[in-house]
Amino acid sequence: MKQTNLKYSCLIAVLYFGMNANGQTTPQDTLPKEQKIEEVVMIGYGSRKAVDNTTSVSSIKAEEVSRTKVLNASQAIQGKAAGVQVTASDLPGSTPTVIIRGLGTALSGRNPLYVVDGMFVDNINNINTNDILTYDVLKDASALAIYGNRAANGVIIITTKSGRGKGITVEYDGFVGVRNPLKKVKMAGSNLFAYYTNTALGTTTFSQDQPVNTDWFDEITRTGVYNQHNVSLSGASESAKYFLSLSNYDEKSILNGTDYNRTTIRTNNEFKIAKGITLSQNLSVAFNNTTPKPLGAFTTAYKQSPIVPVRYANGLFGVRFVGDNGFASPTGEAFNNVGNPVSQLYFDNEKQKSFTLQGGLKLDVNIMKELKFTSQFSGEYNNFKSYNFVDSKAIWLAADPTRVLNNTPYLATDPINLLTNTKNDYYNWILTNYFTYNKKFADIHDVEATVGMESSVKNGTDQLITIRRNMIANSNYWNLDGVNYKDQLDDLKSINGNKNTTTSYFARAQYKLMNKYLLTATIRRDGSSQFANGQKWGNFPSFGAGWVVSEEDFLKDGFFNLLKIRGGWGKIGNQNVPLNYLPFNTGTSYNYAFGGSVMSNGMTVDQVYDPNLSWEITEETSVGLDFEVLNRRLKGSVDLYDKVTTNIILKSIPIITEGISNPGYAHLGEVTNKGVEVALGWDDKIGEDFGYSISANYSFNKNELSNIAQQNVNDIVGGGLGNGQDTKLLNEQSIGQPLGSFYLYEANGMDANGKLTYVDHNGNGTIDAGDRKYFGSYIPKSTLGINLNLRYKSWDFSANGYGTFGAKVYNGKKAQRFSGENVEYSVASDFWTPTNTGSANPAPFNAVPLASTYYLESGDFFRINNISLGYTINKAVTYISSMRFYVSAINPVVFQKFSGFSPELNGNGDPYGSTGVELDAYPTLRSFVFGVNVKF
Amino acid sequence: MNKKIILLSALAIFSFSNNSCSDDFVDVKPTEAISAQDLTLFNNNEGAESFVTAIYAKFLDWNMSTFAWIGVSSITSDDADKGSTPGDTGADKDVLDALNFNATTPSFRDLFAAHYQGINRCNQALAYLPQLNNADAGLRNRLAGEARFLRAFMYFTLVRTYGGVPIVDRLSIPGNAEDRTMLLTRKSKEEVYAFIEADLQAAIAALPDKSAYTGANVGRASKGAAYALLAKVSLYQKKWQKVIDNTNLVTGYSLTPDFAEIYKISGENNQESIFEIQGKGEAPAKGIQQYSQVQGATGAGGWGWGFNGPSQGLVDAFNAEGDTERRNATVIFRNSTLYDGRIVPSTVNNPYYNFKAYSSNYSGADNSDVNIRYLRYAEVLLMKAEALNELGQTPQAILLLNQIRDRAGISPTTATGQTDVRTAIWKERRLELAFEHDRWYDIVRTGQAQTAMAADGKTFVVGKHELFPLPQNFIDEAQGLSIQNPGY
Repeated sequence: MKQTNLKYSCLIAVLYFGMNANGQTTPQDTLPKEQKIEEVVMIGYGSRKAVDNTTSVSSIKAEEVSRTKVLNASQAIQGKAAGVQVTASDLPGSTPTVIIRGLGTALSGRNPLYVVDGMFVDNINNINTNDILTYDVLKDASALAIYGNRAANGVIIITTKSGRGKGITVEYDGFVGVRNPLKKVKMAGSNLFAYYTNTALGTTTFSQDQPVNTDWFDEITRTGVYNQHNVSLSGASESAKYFLSLSNYDEKSILNGTDYNRTTIRTNNEFKIAKGITLSQNLSVAFNNTTPKPLGAFTTAYKQSPIVPVRYANGLFGVRFVGDNGFASPTGEAFNNVGNPVSQLYFDNEKQKSFTLQGGLKLDVNIMKELKFTSQFSGEYNNFKSYNFVDSKAIWLAADPTRVLNNTPYLATDPINLLTNTKNDYYNWILTNYFTYNKKFADIHDVEATVGMESSVKNGTDQLITIRRNMIANSNYWNLDGVNYKDQLDDLKSINGNKNTTTSYFARAQYKLMNKYLLTATIRRDGSSQFANGQKWGNFPSFGAGWVVSEEDFLKDGFFNLLKIRGGWGKIGNQNVPLNYLPFNTGTSYNYAFGGSVMSNGMTVDQVYDPNLSWEITEETSVGLDFEVLNRRLKGSVDLYDKVTTNIILKSIPIITEGISNPGYAHLGEVTNKGVEVALGWDDKIGEDFGYSISANYSFNKNELSNIAQQNVNDIVGGGLGNGQDTKLLNEQSIGQPLGSFYLYEANGMDANGKLTYVDHNGNGTIDAGDRKYFGSYIPKSTLGINLNLRYKSWDFSANGYGTFGAKVYNGKKAQRFSGENVEYSVASDFWTPTNTGSANPAPFNAVPLASTYYLESGDFFRINNISLGYTINKAVTYISSMRFYVSAINPVVFQKFSGFSPELNGNGDPYGSTGVELDAYPTLRSFVFGVNVKF
Repeated sequence: MNKKIILLSALAIFSFSNNSCSDDFVDVKPTEAISAQDLTLFNNNEGAESFVTAIYAKFLDWNMSTFAWIGVSSITSDDADKGSTPGDTGADKDVLDALNFNATTPSFRDLFAAHYQGINRCNQALAYLPQLNNADAGLRNRLAGEARFLRAFMYFTLVRTYGGVPIVDRLSIPGNAEDRTMLLTRKSKEEVYAFIEADLQAAIAALPDKSAYTGANVGRASKGAAYALLAKVSLYQKKWQKVIDNTNLVTGYSLTPDFAEIYKISGENNQESIFEIQGKGEAPAKGIQQYSQVQGATGAGGWGWGFNGPSQGLVDAFNAEGDTERRNATVIFRNSTLYDGRIVPSTVNNPYYNFKAYSSNYSGADNSDVNIRYLRYAEVLLMKAEALNELGQTPQAILLLNQIRDRAGISPTTATGQTDVRTAIWKERRLELAFEHDRWYDIVRTGQAQTAMAADGKTFVVGKHELFPLPQNFIDEAQGLSIQNPGY
């Protein structure tokens, strides 16, 4: 391997897809600056030189993706692409939410489409980030229309590495790291808790001189440890390219007992069968082994009182009883409804295993010099198994020590234990065939055309779930040969998920005149099985134009190395709703046991159904400017866009007297997203030894519900806190507000007794539902990412940061008081008393508080995502061509205004669900990693 | 290789894949749930029955019969206190107990929504039954009668709780303006009662006697149940003669000799039972969701949440009459032993708990075998007694009253004269039907509410508290078509 040169700029993607033999990763062989470095972006069913591209695409280089040592590649690109907002959770195995150019669809699928080597997948958890060669984000409609039916949330195209170079090169990359929480919330100690709760109840139940002061968060967490080892072999010859990689990722996360292990094997090969005929094959296998622990333990730890010990002196688990002496005691009066988080973890016994197989075959045939035919088949198979063993009797005994002390008998009809076994699997495939025509006429007219069709089948997940009781306590003996488990069977579910099929036809034409003027047009026609007859088909056209101004005579070889103006318009669709049909509702909740003994099956119609449900369509107009100046050292681009989703699909809640309990989906309104994205990068070197680059990207997005379609749209109440209070509302009054806006009472101080008072907006003298107003949404208004890279001789340093501004978050767990839970230190040490009337916190209370702005906080934050420092030794030993050592800090520091654990609150992504509301206390993690990368 | 072969093979692959591009390819039948287009699969007796089974099943749901219902019908009254620990509000049970509620109190929304969900199931059954022509016509007729009885039952609860409500008697079509008006416009109390009576008359014509239900049909609505409910509906409208006429037609029942027996498993669906909601605790279990758990004793040594405990006033009322039999069958005392040997230790949080919700075999389970007894023969006799007394036939009223007292093991009444006997019958209703979701409605109907609640330390506002508030969500949805009850 030649001496590597780490000079690079933000936009280089160094692969010619399919047609050239030099697919490779960075770092690249040195090239003098005068030669044009070909920059190529993926545009769906092909690639295009970046300079000829009229659409908005963010390309992220492979080593940017693999630099941050995280499990899922999408988390690694946080802050690296303008207009792409990634919200990640550090729970191992979780999928980050990726929102591109604002939330356009509310309920019908919020994640972008991932195209991995031509295969449509929902998440990339099974892909080793070291295997990724290119990661391209298609952002605007003129780029996305070619993907029509699933493109409304953006598309991320990922290609995995293939063979390169001469002979075989071997590379090893491994790291170990530790993790601990980035930010903790300080809770009151036991004496302060006693004082606060006594004040709230108006009694002296709790002693002020507690012997026990349990820090529950510390009790259930540990320092997390994780490591990854990755080996890859790649090589190429005249007629074949080959690539093999193996990796293993292992993490013991901070919650006691959690364990996550992923092993992947990948082989990507390319065979030149004959002149003009190439067959590529990719196959990856991922094995997953997880021991999960309930995340609810963090919330229980937040709420449980510090006066309760982890275990009493007699060894039994501490519970929420307080004795006459004011201390926690095994017998006594229950003072709250919170369990013991250590026992919650102790009794949780679960394991999950999964196996994912993804692969594809691609045939490229050069029929004539200008005409190429490509046929590609990809498939995915996933198999998942899990068990969950609940030691019911032991849990019942641990919940109340008097049961053990008094020898209370356990009900004979209750199970001693319950074992739930789940098995599910699914199988998807896609077949794509297309022709590509490429010809240059008269040396100035460059035409490229693509025509094709595609069919995809997404089989529903088939599930088998059994719950058996009174199993032998040893997991080896749970599935014995010869035993009939019929009498131990409590529940048997066998579910065939609904199938989803699509058929599409697409065409694209691209025209380039004199290397200066660019025109693109695409059209795609999609049919989807999700909709009823008459609604299945949709057409999605788009247009794009570009002008490379820097090629014009008046600008050529002038100040601008590159100046390009581009713009486009497109229509894209979203079909990611459940199969739309009217079902009969059957099942346990409709059954009744006449005479209290004979179970009868019940059936009814309990669902809203709209037969006119069809594609959710987004129309987008966008313009952009790309420039490079100062000898290509300063590069930048500015994009403006206006996205309108005219028939947004939302859950339609029926009128309360209709008596339907299951909402259905219907077209209910219009959402607009308008915004601007700016990216700037400076890349230079001082002398031969020192090089640096700084880049920043900033995006601003205004999300607005601009219209509600029908007169009789019913209110959607969301953001429930589980105590009867709700924080979000969608109805006619929400027009003009962002989606998912918080709808709350306005707290404006305290009355003479220290209770919170609220503004009476409708002036009727009482605080009622008419006094609620909108106070902003969890959707941030702007995001900022900053990346810095330095290189000095053999040292390299990089840092990047990411932040969002303008979002609001609701501190739901703080508001979920029933009685006797612990309080935060900031509240317990400074609350209203007759002598401290200026406090920000009201007098202690036990009633359910109204959902108000008192709990609403700013979600602004800026976090340093990654700092890493590396040192490369070249040719240390004869057979080692280079060795790089590195240390990295991931999420080392965050600046946030939110007093809770994390302002990035994904929830389930539903804007009218718990997104933006912190109900569970799961912390963001900070990691420190040491690793080595060796090339042989 | 020859270019032509390449070309041909490529086109072959292309056309091969074209097979999948017909419209059939994007036509997918559901496998997760049964499509409503496949009604033929249910065009038989079992299918017909399943539509009505779902209506009964609604009574087992949390929002229909558990926390919200316990709060609104029981905790509000002078018979019961909130219970549980002082700090545990149960979301809104503390405001219900204190009569401090308003239109946004969650229990009112839960109860309102639950009843209309049940009414929807009745309307679905009545719409589908005529289409199932392969099912036995007589069976379908009886099932339709059951659906109408249950619909009348639910409207009766709605009108007693909220006053006039929208009458939804058919399935509504989304987007239809007329249907929308029907769904959102409150009818008057009188119109709702008339609708209830029409449903009950139709049910009476279609339903058989209770004796016709055996085996897998025990617990279904019978003719006697329809008459008994019609009598009660008439009682609330002060149509005394109708009360007498209908109670006379409730035949084939008798009082259980031992009062406590009624609430044990052996007493379920016995000779006194007219209409009960059935719970099954044994796996596969399906009971009234967490009904026993919510009202079970709480604290160290307890098995439940501790809500809806008997009030001191009720215990005193039992003691004033010397009524130990009914008192001991209604109240679980702290520091006592129950009939099945279970010890209630002194460490439980509250002095009294609801015995009628206790399940011996499944005490703290989500699904217990407890039944809710909505109509039984003792109440039929008391209704008849009250009506007779109102019409001036006091001696016959006293006879019936003494039947009840005799069964309870207490001495015959000493009351004479219409006014005293009226008060005695009202007092008897309290002791006999305690914790059977009747007390609040009874004191409002009879005008006792203000004094009774004052004795319990609560302020009953006359002119306001006779009706509970309609849920604010409904008033908002109605956009002017319906207005709130006065005072809220």
